[in-house]
Amino acid sequence: MQSEFKGFFNNLALGKLAFPNCKSCGAFHWYPMKYCPHCQSANIHWQPVGGIGRVYSWTVVRHSFNAVHTLPLPYVVALLEFEDAPNVRLITNLVDTAPESLTIGMKVEPILTGLNEGEPPVKVIFRKARVEII
Amino acid sequence: MEPTIAIVGVGETAPLRKSTKDVRELTLEASLSAIQDAGLQCSDIDGIITDAGIMPSTVPQDWMAAQLGISPNFTACLSYGGAGIVAAPMLAQYAIESGRATAVLFYFGVDWGSRADGPYAFHDMYPAKKTFEKPYGFNAQPCYFGLWTRRYMHEYGLTEDDLAEIAISQRANALLNGRGQMTTALDREGYYKSRLISDPLRAADCCLLSDGAGAYVMTSRKRAQDCRKTPVLVRGVGFGGVAVTGDDVFTQGKSLLISPAAAKASEFAQRAAGITLEDVDFAEIYDCFTISCLMQIEDLGFCAKGEAAAFIRERGITVGGRLPVNTHGGLLSYSYRLGIEHMVEAVRQLRGESGNAQVANARVGLVGGFSPPDYGVTILSR
Repeated sequence: MQSEFKGFFNNLALGKLAFPNCKSCGAFHWYPMKYCPHCQSANIHWQPVGGIGRVYSWTVVRHSFNAVHTLPLPYVVALLEFEDAPNVRLITNLVDTAPESLTIGMKVEPILTGLNEGEPPVKVIFRKARVEII
Repeated sequence: MEPTIAIVGVGETAPLRKSTKDVRELTLEASLSAIQDAGLQCSDIDGIITDAGIMPSTVPQDWMAAQLGISPNFTACLSYGGAGIVAAPMLAQYAIESGRATAVLFYFGVDWGSRADGPYAFHDMYPAKKTFEKPYGFNAQPCYFGLWTRRYMHEYGLTEDDLAEIAISQRANALLNGRGQMTTALDREGYYKSRLISDPLRAADCCLLSDGAGAYVMTSRKRAQDCRKTPVLVRGVGFGGVAVTGDDVFTQGKSLLISPAAAKASEFAQRAAGITLEDVDFAEIYDCFTISCLMQIEDLGFCAKGEAAAFIRERGITVGGRLPVNTHGGLLSYSYRLGIEHMVEAVRQLRGESGNAQVANARVGLVGGFSPPDYGVTILSR
């Protein structure tokens, strides 16, 4: 794994969703890069976010493209935006949410998951937000 | 600007899902056929161009040079796939005008029809896609473009009928051409019977998978007069990139629904050619998916963003329409060799060699090649 990617997983392991943020210009970027792509500063830190996202778009995948790396079909891939992390769009899976009920702009909340029950999180998936946050 | 170079030879292998020949043999066959089409000998070729992403590891230039007995004075690689395939005349023009080369071969081939992971494995070269997308099953081009389609529908009110129109029109073109991989007609009912791959995209919205290759030969306008076929003039070439990585292009960036590189490349090519899109008689546009063809019609400047569905309905994009698009059936219905078939077809149209799929009085053709985030445009004329 690229060294600049590791902060994401280190934060997940601590139960936090965080994105790279530049201390020089204050902007977020995604995917992680060596230098801030907005101002080329190397002074980047991982800024935790609240976790509530909004659906920018989604697709229901109904075909297995790779025999080895696939999820049980069908599954929902969503692209999310976060109010407290502009410039970031996160690819994730939406679970516990019927595809017919999906709408663009819908609020979703994170679920951090490990490879096995009780292990530290390595993935972040989302479901429809249970609590309306103002 | 007066055109200085011309395409004088084209070649391709037959459109095919799976070939018994490997990609080197296919690419060699297409290259020889292009050189022969030009009425040239291998020894006449002194420049070689290909893409910079796929060919260097599968059919490298040194192998092609040795196989054809060419000692090149000029070699170059440009972008990967589509954009490089279409914008390569930009480099040939430089080489020929500066006297570094007199006859330049461009070649491209793929075996993605028979290779196990086909085009999907290509994206493994992107570390962020591998780390942050594959674990979530976001691992193939139909997923990327499915996501774009949903967003486009939300912002501009696109319907499935609008996508069907493109798939159906291009299938009609493929049947007129008669050589493509798809040989049965597609109507609206057939479109809706086509299975969903990654909502809202159906199989009929996705390009084919193919084994095959294509090539073209360029030389100076002056020398072109002595070649076997009517020269097709390179009127203007445009190439554009964006400050976005291949990792990011499908998900990040201000808007996913605009490809700024396409607009840039199109404007540059038009300026260089001294003509506008109003002069274009037909277009071969990188239709990896119905949605991407539709979006490029906008980004190239044929109409404003959000208006392509109406534009397509009103103008008509079949061979008999007011703007024929992908006159051979395109990547959707002819073959998927990342757009080399688009260059070959544009040349055939301008020579009047397209048979039943010939666009009447075709004088100017535009070819657009997309390798996100890069874009290439070449405008050709008789």
